[in-house]
This record gives sequence, structure tokens and C-alpha cells, in this order.
Amino acid sequence: MRLALTAITLMMTLAVAACGRNDAPQDRLAAIRQAGVLRVATFDSNPPFGSVNPTTRKIEGLDVDYAQALADKLGVKLEITPTNPANRIPLLASGKVDLVLANFTITEERAKQVDFSIPYFASGQQFIAKTGTLTSPDQLNGLRIGVDKGTVNEINLREKYPQAVLVAYDDTPFAFTALRNGNVQAISQDGPKLIGVLANAPDASGYEIPAFSISQDLIGVGIPKGQAALKTFVDTTLVELEASGQAQRIYDRWFGPDTRTPLARSYRIGESAAVAAH
Amino acid sequence: MFDGFLAPRYIGWMIDGLGVTLGLSALASVIALVLGFVLCVLRLSPSRPVAGLAAAWLSAFRNTPLLVQLFFWYFGVSALLPDSLMAWLNAPHRIGVEAFGAPWPPFEMLAGLLGLSLYSAAFMAEEFRAGIYSVAPGQTAAGRALGMTSTQIWISIILPQAVRIARAPLAGQVMNVVKNSSLTMAIGLAELSYAARQVETETFQAFQAFGLATLFYIGAVALIGGFSQLAWGRSSPPTGAAR
Repeated sequence: MRLALTAITLMMTLAVAACGRNDAPQDRLAAIRQAGVLRVATFDSNPPFGSVNPTTRKIEGLDVDYAQALADKLGVKLEITPTNPANRIPLLASGKVDLVLANFTITEERAKQVDFSIPYFASGQQFIAKTGTLTSPDQLNGLRIGVDKGTVNEINLREKYPQAVLVAYDDTPFAFTALRNGNVQAISQDGPKLIGVLANAPDASGYEIPAFSISQDLIGVGIPKGQAALKTFVDTTLVELEASGQAQRIYDRWFGPDTRTPLARSYRIGESAAVAAH
Repeated sequence: MFDGFLAPRYIGWMIDGLGVTLGLSALASVIALVLGFVLCVLRLSPSRPVAGLAAAWLSAFRNTPLLVQLFFWYFGVSALLPDSLMAWLNAPHRIGVEAFGAPWPPFEMLAGLLGLSLYSAAFMAEEFRAGIYSVAPGQTAAGRALGMTSTQIWISIILPQAVRIARAPLAGQVMNVVKNSSLTMAIGLAELSYAARQVETETFQAFQAFGLATLFYIGAVALIGGFSQLAWGRSSPPTGAAR
């Protein structure tokens, strides 16, 4: 009897200790409120998601606007840390930042190391073709299409449109040159990247990005693993931003018709991926 | 890292790539040999302007990187051609009479073949010239002493010896054509290196993909070596002295 009691007491002590250890990284949301600062990592050279404005010398972009909206909701100051693709997970895991908003594609592999919010942006594999020549994905099977070597885009096209002739080039500008020369009839990359290529072209008016995509990468906010309160806060705030129209305003500021990089909005926060992907 | 060998499907891609490499190299070698001989004759022309032009042509093609030349033919020249011609060049049609014709090659193939042929022709021209120079001047003098015309001397005395001397270095140049053909992957031609890169992208089996490509290249080059051995035996070329 006594032995059983001792055992139970011991187990309870261990359980409490274990709970305590689980809470060890503490409630990050509470910590942010207490410190009065939200620390966010964004890109600093990936317009229009995050890049340094040459005149103000501050990082700005779609991701920064979302980060600012989250900080505003909390009523705290926003502190931006520049990052690059390889640094995003280490920054989160080491606790140097509270959130990552850096064109962070949600993948199963990454979800093992960090938590993701609901998606707030989607970039899909799109095309550039001469204006009016490409209107539907059904045409792709009969075309010569330029892609970038070693990209998921190439694999994806080969699987979905096996009759299309793919020609792989070293990078997107090379592929675009081949398109302008008439060697291929379309080129394919992620929509936002294609806009960047087109924005720099001297004869951009003769080309367009048809309004369909054949894949969809969902972009979410990276959150430290196990911070349930913080994740709930980010998710509900994103839904509110869409409901209030602020998400649309942020989108239009970077991808609207008057910007250098106009792109029709194909994804709204809260939408399921399958619907938006045609 | 080493997780088994490539799936049959990917080996198929590599074999397709090898086929393109061999076809491209064979065509380019034949064109380069013929063109190289012509260029060599022009280079040795008694007319100074002709010889000068040929020398300038040879140095232009020998002294610039093949990669740049390929970009020039593929991206540069195609930008100058009219849209309608480019559309025709890129459209799928057939050459020759129906049923006996071959499918029209893609523009990548045409530009690659042109670039590789012109580049290799310049090197082969110099191999021919070296062969001709290594025939001892006494041979020509002896021909004259026998009352032969200079055409007779060229055809009966100089060229047979020059070709015998030049054929080993020329075989080496053909091997270079096979190896240099890998650069056409930069203009999107789906040859062996391109296929290896493609397989690596899909499977992440870098060692297997590039290892197999290496074996294929070694095999192709060994084939050329073996063929030249068979054709000419082991006899060493004449040294220029009369035998």
C-alpha cells in the first residue's frame, strides 16, 4: 500500500516536472506582449515580398505589411530581421525571431521542424507567352515550353503535360530570350518570378502571363513549434485581415494593377487549396 | 547517399541522350572534316587575301570559347532571323519524301550542329595543315625533278602522306567533338549531359546519373579509338622521310 502510494506520488511528480519542461519555452505570445516587440524575419532582397527600399533604406514588401498588421493587432512594435531561404528555420528554432514571414512555402518536410499558420498567399506555376496565344492549360500539350534547369516546374510539367516539348535553360532570363527569339512558345516559372522577368523586358507589352496556374504553392507564417496560443493568434488575425479587406489592400499595394508587378489575385485567405488550383 | 541504381525509366532517358550525343557528334565530325579540309586548302592558297581571310576565320573560331559560339548561334542569330522563318524552323515537319523522310530536328539541334561543326572544322583544318607541312620539302622537289605538274605532286605525293600523318590527330579531334557536344546542353539540346542533369534533378541520385554519363562518354570515345586502330592498324605514320 505504502509502496503503491509512493509510486503514485513519484509518477505525479514526474508528470508535473514533464509538464513544466514542455512549458519551458514559455508562452511566446505572452512574452511578445510583455516585451512590447514582435520580432519577425523577412527577406531583404526578394521583391515584392521583402526588399530594401533604396531611398528609405528600410525593408518593405508584402510580407512586411502582413508582419506590421500582426504587430498592430497585438499593439506592439515590429522588429524586422533580414533572412534568406536557408536561414528561416534556424532563426525560428533558435528563438531569435518570433515569426517568419519570408515567402515561406508550406511543405510537409518543413512542418516537421516548424509550425505554419493558415496560408496568406499562394504562388503557382504560371507561363509567359506572346499576348493572346495561350489561354488555357489544354494548349500546353502541343507547345514547346522553356523551363529552368533543375526546377520543380520542369518535373511538374513533364508529369502533367507529357506531350509538351520541354527545353531547359540555365535560368529564367535565358528562357525568356528563347521565347522572344521564337525558339519556344511559352516559358514557365512561379508567377511572381515571371512578373519580375517581364517587368524588366523592353518589349513587355507583346507578352502576357495567362491567368491560370498549374500548381499552387501555399505560403504561410512560420511559427516556432508548439506555440499554440501564438498560432491561434496569427490564424485568427489573418482571417480578420481578409474579412476587413485589409488583406486585399496589402495585395494590391504590391501586386495590384498599378504596380510594376501586376498579378491577378488567385488565392484568398481561408480558401482551400484545391478550389484555388482550378 | 548511394541508394541503389537508377530506375529503368531513367536509364532509358540516358540512352536517349547518348543517341543524341552520338548522332550529333557523327554529323558534326563529317561536316567538320570536309569543311576543315576546304579551310586548310584555302589557308594554303597562293592568293594572299584568300589565305589571310582563311587565317582570320580559323583564329576567330579557334580562339573563342565554344560555349559563347553556341550562344551566338542559338540566341544571337535567332534574334536576327525573321519571325516567320523561326516559326518554320521550330514547327514540326518532315524532311524528304513522306514515309522516307526524317522528322525535322529542333532548332537546338540545328544551332548545336552548326556551332559544333564550325568550331571543330577550325581545329581539323589546322591538323590537316600540320600534316601537309610535315611532308618533307624534298618530296616536292623530287616530284618536280621527275617532271610532275604541281597538281600531280599534290594528289600523288603530298596528300597521301599528309593524310596518313594527320589521321591520328584527326581521330583525336573527333573524340573532342564527342566531349564538346556536352556543351550543347546549355542551349537546351537533350543530349547525354542534359539527360544526366535531368535524371539527377528527378532522382537526386547524382553519383549514379553522372557516373553513368561518364561511362557512356568513355565508351563512345573508346569506340572511336578502337575504330581508328582497326582501320589503320598499329603502324606508325611515316615521319616524312621517303619509305
